[in-house]
This record gives sequence, structure tokens and C-alpha cells, in this order.
Amino acid sequence: MSILVGTQTRLIVQGITGREGTFHTEQMLAYGTNVVAGVTPGKGGQRALGVPVFNTVREAVEATGANASVLFVPAQHLKASAMEAIDAGIPLIVTLAEHTPVQDMMLCRMLAREKGVRLFGPNSFGIISPGKSKVGFMAHSIFTPGPVGLMSRSATNCYETVFMLSQRGIGQSTCIGIGGDMIPGTSFVEMLPDFQRDEQTEVIVIIGEIGGSAEERAAEYIQAHVTKPVVALIAGKNAPKGTSMGHAGAIVAADGTGSAQNKEKALREAGCHIAQSTEHVVELVQELIRREKH
Amino acid sequence: MKLLEYQAKELFDQYGLATPKGVVLSSGEGAAEAVAAAGLDYPVVVKAQVQVGGRGKAGGVRFAQNPEELAEIVGALLFSSLKGIQVRQLLVVEKVEMAAEWYLSILLDRDAGMPMVIFSPCGGVDIEETARENPGAILKVPVNPLVGVADYTVQYLVSKSGIGGEHLPALKNLLCGLYRLFTQRDCLLAEINPVAVGKDGTLAAVDGKIDVDDSALQRHADLLAMREAHSEPPLVTQARAFRFLYIPVGAEGRVAVMSNGSGMLMSMIDLLSKKEISVACALDLGGGATKDRIREAVRIVLSTPGVDTLFICIFGGITRCDEVAEGVRLALEEGSGGSKVVVRMEGTNKEVGQEIIGRTPQAVSAGGIVEGVRIVSEMLSASAGRRDAK
Repeated sequence: MSILVGTQTRLIVQGITGREGTFHTEQMLAYGTNVVAGVTPGKGGQRALGVPVFNTVREAVEATGANASVLFVPAQHLKASAMEAIDAGIPLIVTLAEHTPVQDMMLCRMLAREKGVRLFGPNSFGIISPGKSKVGFMAHSIFTPGPVGLMSRSATNCYETVFMLSQRGIGQSTCIGIGGDMIPGTSFVEMLPDFQRDEQTEVIVIIGEIGGSAEERAAEYIQAHVTKPVVALIAGKNAPKGTSMGHAGAIVAADGTGSAQNKEKALREAGCHIAQSTEHVVELVQELIRREKH
Repeated sequence: MKLLEYQAKELFDQYGLATPKGVVLSSGEGAAEAVAAAGLDYPVVVKAQVQVGGRGKAGGVRFAQNPEELAEIVGALLFSSLKGIQVRQLLVVEKVEMAAEWYLSILLDRDAGMPMVIFSPCGGVDIEETARENPGAILKVPVNPLVGVADYTVQYLVSKSGIGGEHLPALKNLLCGLYRLFTQRDCLLAEINPVAVGKDGTLAAVDGKIDVDDSALQRHADLLAMREAHSEPPLVTQARAFRFLYIPVGAEGRVAVMSNGSGMLMSMIDLLSKKEISVACALDLGGGATKDRIREAVRIVLSTPGVDTLFICIFGGITRCDEVAEGVRLALEEGSGGSKVVVRMEGTNKEVGQEIIGRTPQAVSAGGIVEGVRIVSEMLSASAGRRDAK
């Protein structure tokens, strides 16, 4: 089946008439994503790439029955656009922009939780269920359909892993860009039940990094509820301490929480397979899938 | 962006938090006159405006009893170097009499996804020691951002800390002001340590740390302007002009790493460290790897003292490898003092890119990140071997 996005997805693109929005809508349409509407205030009534454009998300939902939205809007406008989508009742919202003010996302996340909305990103490539639907700007040519469910805080480490998986004939069910910011809309632990339930997913891959305790919380959940094999990679073991590595999130707490060692220990104790590099992730996954077959 | 102490004080003043009377000096001339003009009474405290831990112990905080002592201290401290950072400003404040020292901060708690108030009746320089040895003396309470600081938030702090109900109105005032500052100025941290408790129960912010979210600086022009006063490595400033992020990693290394994402940079540093190769610096290109940007980026990292080997890893679906390769070639052609560059790239026009790297004398292509690390390692041991032979 895959999770979150697929053939059932009816997508709105907020910011469809912008440069990035237009380019990536074209890419998403070419991939087969069902883009049903675009939203740009003041451009309602026009069409962009054959897709009807509305002034507001509410109008777009009323006219098309959209059930997901992706935001190609600048970071400084992300909060207003995400709030609009939440208020219009969209159940799945994907944000992408780099350099989004953290407190803006904090408020969006709180509101999304109040309303039971799934909010992803920012600083993310989006979500893709290979062969079915892509929501975001990821380099889709490297993704192939298959049994690996993957989620990553880093886009580049995800690309690297997926590229090698696909090269070795191992496809993916769904790949989720959790995003590199300090407060992501959705974190690993919230997606584990979905991957555990999903029939297509045989192996779960978590690509984490230093900072915060998202990996530790995932480890607790895995220990108690996940029966599928999990492979985990933690990047940033040797990153300079106390320095932001661009992902606002990657700040190692002085007392050791959030360190790579802490995270690896928690995940290992929860029964996860710990990889030392993206290439090692692929080797471990290959081995696990071979074992399942026999 | 971490503000300097006097900048934090300016914000405290703006938000109605009491601070000691003070003046900022950025010139040694007329220090005593400036202090007198600001109406300060002696004794005064002279504080070096540098962001280093243990500033007081390093001699960055001194007391002056009179104008003569002040002039002497200013002469010695201003433009001196404190733990390797040049002192460009001094903050001179009146010495505050304290009946007690508290600690109060608001931190953006990434795990809860909301602000967290941290309070302790045992504030001052040893707060971290208190946190380790007597964690019960430190109270933490989350604040729902949809609600803000409520009466019960303050009530909880007063009740649990045992400071006495008479302090409630003043603490509430202080916390509400700090919370307004925290939310309106997009802070990641707003800390007052110590909160000076006067004999009459008045509270003052004697020292403070404020960390502002870099992503929000665009909407705070006054805070953005404060960066001018900060001392940062010149290469960081140079890189920022091109929207690159330059990260000094270690003073020892000969190797620089460059990528279009920080996750990949961390992976590269991890793999190199495993081979006991020290990395001097990392550069995050962000998006848009055009040849001109790559050329500037290569030039900037190779101008890092001691660096003679650069490892580039670029992976983007729509990144054009020929542009990346061309940028590397141009930078090397313009002169790079015999530095070597290892390039690993995936994207469109990969073959063309590899062909360009192939005919660039000082550059080598790598098929993957692990292969790239191996090539870097071989280069370093080969050049070490040549050095030994000499």
C-alpha cells in the first residue's frame, strides 16, 4: 500500500504560480501525482499547467475535495499558509521551506495537533510513495517502488541511501522527509505505527542526527510496538560540539542528551540495527531482506 | 544569533525589565567622562563583551572603585584578547547589592515543541553545578504558546521553590516581560542569570543571554544590525555574503568538506574521523549549485589556513554536475597553491562533469562517499610520505 501519499491523494499546491511552485508542480504532474488545485491569492480563476487556481485554500477544497496540500511558499509566509490549510480542514500538509522561523512552526504544530492534522517539514524534500505519488521537490528518478519504508531528517543522506538501495534493486514503500529543523511538524515516533501497519513495508529505515531526542523517543516506541526490522543511522558523531550545523536542530546538548552515542545506545537496546554510514544502511537492509526471503 | 550582554540588556530595557544602570564603551578615550555622563555611581563593574565561558575567571569582569581605577582597567581590557577573542566593547554598570541571586530563563524546548520556563532560587555563576548536584533546586515548566504565561505558571514556581508568596507580583512581572521578549523577538533562549533580588524585594536582570533564531532575523532589522558588533571568523562573513554556511570544525585539520546539505556534511566528517582524519572546516552550499557559486565556495574553503585537501559531495536531483565540475576547475585554475580536490557528485550531466574533472590536474572524481574518503586518505598519506622523504 505505502503510507500518507498515494493514488488516493488529491493535492493542492499553495504558491503554484511562483517560480518554484510552477517548476515542481510540473514535475509532480509528470510523476503522476493528482494535483487537483493551486492556490495563489489574487490569481483565482486562472489555470496553471492546466490546474485550476483559487484565491484561498477553502475555495480550492470546496471545489475539488482536496485532501492534501504542499506549500511552495517562502519561509516568511509559511506560517500564514499552513494556518490557512489547517483551518480549511486539510488533513495532510507538507511544508518544505528552509530557514522557517522556529516559533512560526511551533505555533503551526500546536494548532495542527489540536485539529488532528498531519503536518510535515519544514526544511524537507517532502513525501514520496515511489511509482504512485510525490508531494515535494525530491529527485524522484532515484526512487523505486519496493519494501523499504524510510524517514530522514536530512535530505542529502536520504538521497544517498535511496540511490544505493535502488541501484541494488531494493525499492521503497514511502520516503518521508521529516526535515532538518529544530521543531518538525511530525517526528519519527508518530510515523512508526503507520509503517508497522503498512503491508508493503518490510524494513523501516530511520536516518537521524544529533540534537533533540526524536530518535530516543522512536527507540522507546520500537521496543514496545514495532515487530518489523529497523535500521538506523545517526549522523553527526564528530560534528563540532555546541555548533549549529545549518539544520537549526543539530545542536548537541552539553550534558550528552541528543548525542549520537545516546541515540545509538537507545536504538540498539530497542533491537534496531545500527549503521555507520549510508552505504552500511544499504548493506544491512539487503541482508535483512535476504533473510526474510529464506 | 547569540547577542552580546549589552545587546541583551538593551532588549531587557525595551521590554521593561529592570537592569543596572550602565554604559557601553568602545573607545578608551574619555571612559571616566562617559561613565559620569551616564550618571553611574562608583563602585562600577567593567565587563568585557565577548562570548566565552568562564569570562569572570579569565579576567573579563573587574571592579573599579573610582575613575582612576576605571581608566586603568579600560586601558588594559579594551582591545585585549580574552580566550582568543578580541574585546571590542566594554559594558560598565553600577555594582548591584543583592540579597539573593535567582536564575530565570525561557528556552525553546525542541522535544515538547513549546517554550519552557526554567527557574531556580539558587542562581549565579554555579547554576550548572546546581543542575548536576541538586537538580531539585531547578524548576521547569512548559508554556503552551496558544495560552502564554498564566497566573498558575508563576504560582507553580513560587509554590515549588519556596521563595515566599511576597515575591509573586515581582516574579510575574519579570516572567511576563521576558516571555513577551522571547515570543516577539523570536528567541531560542532568553536567560537572566543572576536575577538580583534586592533587600526591598525588587528584581533586576544583572546579566543575560539571548539567542535569536537566525531564520527570523529578517523581520527584526534592529537585531540584524546588532551582528555588526560581533567578532566572527572572516571566512564565515565571506561565506555568508554568498549565502553559504562556513563552519569551523577543528584547528588541526588539512581537510575541508563541502556539500549541498548539512546531513551529508555530518556524514562526511563522521567517515573521515573514523579514519582519524581531522577536518578543518565544512561548507554548506545550500541550494543552487551554479558554477560561479561553486567557484567562490572552493576559493573560500581553500583559503582556510592549513587546508590543502577538499572533499566535495553533491547530491541533488536537479543539480547539474557539469556546472559543479566547471566551478571546481575555474577555482583551481585561478590559483589554489597546489591544493587537491576530490569530487563526488550525482545529478544530471554526470558524465560531462566527470570528464571536466578528469582533465583538471588537481582534481579527482570519486564514485561514492566511501570511495571519496579512501581517496582523501591516500592523498594525505602520499603527501606525508613525500614530506618524510624530504
